Amino acid sequence: MREEDTLDALRTEVRGWMEKNAPKDWRDASRTQDDFVATQRSWFAKLVEGGYAIPHWPADWPGGGRSLAEQKVIYEELARIDAPRLLLSFVSTYHAFATLHECASAEQKAKYLPRILKGETWCQGFSEPGAGSDLAALKTKAVRETRDGREVYVVNGQKVWSTMAQFADMCLLLVRTSNDGPKQAGITYLLMDMKTPGVSVSPINQIQGDEEFAEIFLDNVAIPVEQRVGEEGKGWAVAQATLASERGLTLMELSYRMRGALWRVAELIRKNGYENDAGVLRDFGGLVTQVDAVCAIADQFLDNRIKGIERVGDASIVKNAYSRALRAYSLLGLRLGGMDEQYLAPITFGDLNTGNWMADFMNSYAWTIAGGSEEVQRNIIAERMLELPREPKTWVLA
Amino acid sequence: MIELRELTDAAQKAFPADTLSPGRDASWELVAEMGWLMIRLPEELDGLGLGREASTAIHYEMGRVLSSAPLIPAQLGLQTILASETLASRGEWAERIAGGEYVPLHMLPTKLETGSDGALSGTVSGVFEADMASAVVAFLPGGYQIVPLDATGVSVSERAIWDPSRRLFDLVLDGYTPDPALAIADRDRSIALHDALAPEAHLALAADCLGGAAAALDMSVEYMKMRKQFERPIGMFQALKHRAADCKIRVVSSEAMLWGRARDETVSYVQMGALKTHAAECFQWVTEEAIQFHGGIGLTEEHQCHLFMKRAMLNLQLCGAPDLWKERAGRAALAALA
Repeated sequence: MREEDTLDALRTEVRGWMEKNAPKDWRDASRTQDDFVATQRSWFAKLVEGGYAIPHWPADWPGGGRSLAEQKVIYEELARIDAPRLLLSFVSTYHAFATLHECASAEQKAKYLPRILKGETWCQGFSEPGAGSDLAALKTKAVRETRDGREVYVVNGQKVWSTMAQFADMCLLLVRTSNDGPKQAGITYLLMDMKTPGVSVSPINQIQGDEEFAEIFLDNVAIPVEQRVGEEGKGWAVAQATLASERGLTLMELSYRMRGALWRVAELIRKNGYENDAGVLRDFGGLVTQVDAVCAIADQFLDNRIKGIERVGDASIVKNAYSRALRAYSLLGLRLGGMDEQYLAPITFGDLNTGNWMADFMNSYAWTIAGGSEEVQRNIIAERMLELPREPKTWVLA
Repeated sequence: MIELRELTDAAQKAFPADTLSPGRDASWELVAEMGWLMIRLPEELDGLGLGREASTAIHYEMGRVLSSAPLIPAQLGLQTILASETLASRGEWAERIAGGEYVPLHMLPTKLETGSDGALSGTVSGVFEADMASAVVAFLPGGYQIVPLDATGVSVSERAIWDPSRRLFDLVLDGYTPDPALAIADRDRSIALHDALAPEAHLALAADCLGGAAAALDMSVEYMKMRKQFERPIGMFQALKHRAADCKIRVVSSEAMLWGRARDETVSYVQMGALKTHAAECFQWVTEEAIQFHGGIGLTEEHQCHLFMKRAMLNLQLCGAPDLWKERAGRAALAALA
């Protein structure tokens, strides 16, 4: 069978399954955060059961081993049917998976990966109040000690902008184990159980009214040494694996979901009588082409990664192209939506499909700021790809 | 099958990056010698037998050096002639073109007056490099026809344009009686031919735009590494390097779409028009930025910045203005998302 026929067959299969199983009333059913979390958990469980939750995992996992082309079909169909995005399990299925799969020990993989499919969720403890764009400046301190006959790291510090940490079972945690040498060299990567004594989480109220991010406070938290990924002081390299997953596969999913979600703008154009408005049609045509370009660059990026010819900066290009298109997408929807979008929406988690364009617009900023801001990505592209001179390292107050 | 990489290497060797808009006539000879006119023709017709990706790669390289050889209209002229089902002298014309004769296609219908004797009068504007052509394929009232430039009632006159890398001519008909033996297709079939060839023109132009955009960005980046102000290279300032990064993001993502659509045989006419518009707007953006990056020197005639900008502005208008294609793309997407 030709590849296109196989993909068409998959599309029919996925579409049939989605029509039967995708929640239709999920926006109404998630008006409170508790309800939102419950909807997310049940939809994830259903997707695991159907074999569509983790198409990007290897073939020895149920529903894994899908080709990139097959994954795209699944993501487009998820958006077409208007299924909720898996925000709660996003970090566990991408970031935690990539980190464990690429860098963890066999014991760690065996322990944690199956639990992800059972619904265990993860959060990311990377950024700190004083370490955002300059992540390597992080200060959360870990001291190795023996407590009750066990080797542990005793951790003290504070993490911030941790997506859905208030609902997470586990945390991917970056700590400082040494202040010697370059700041990257003293960083160690730990897996932390969020129920460990001394961990407290405080959600952050955001401009769109929900609490998608949280702060994590760490007060003498003892983390067993077996929960370290990689060697002590080598956590920066492991963190790159976590971040690379964010700038790679996740962006392919999101780009194809954005393409699949263009019908929401089309619907607005029809609803508000713009079908023959040349100006609106031009803006829509420009957006559609911009989204196509984002899908094309995401495709090319993954092709190059698979071929082993990825260059420094490639991921930054994909991320910025996506985040710009997302801003354009939500702005056009917001503009065409008119007054309706100015009324408060009951549920505002996530981007692309909250059902309220004002909320989507506000959420679109997450992509230009989180995971390395647009400006940091531009520095990477300019300095490491175009080889423009770096800024001087030292700075003296005049 | 020649590898794409080999083709690109050969093109870069024949047209080195440090010579912008090399002499037209010498370039034309080189282009013909390399077989690029016939790049898509099957080998039994003396072509290179290569596909869309290969011709796109060549147009990209031609854009990179702001080539003045009219390869795109020449290829389209040849394709139009070869697509004719009625032209008895088809093989003869193909042979002449293969030998280096230039017969460009002028795609669009033009308003011409038909006299009572059937003779045509009027002006067909915007024919590329007509001074080196032996004939022009033009859309006459009866459909596409080969118009020999030495025929009675046919003349060409140049109208100067801003872009110095290309020349445009008016094809002036003054009581020209079309030769039925040179008709390529009737009117309906000609419209179908136009719609079949226009996406090829869009793809080629998109490649030309992105080759030019990449070259303009390279040139700007080199300048910003070298030019010093405040005792440092100006490329160290984020105010400039971030803008260079934005250009890079736009060029690279547009290129990804270019190659994707070159490979994809199912891309629609409208999607090709949208690609060309997207690529031309990228070219325009990068060349505008390039002038600003260069400062005062970017406004001088001796510097190369303006060559890129002027070609970008002309490319933007070719094969339909951006507003037209954006509107069509919007309408098509709206219909597809019903």
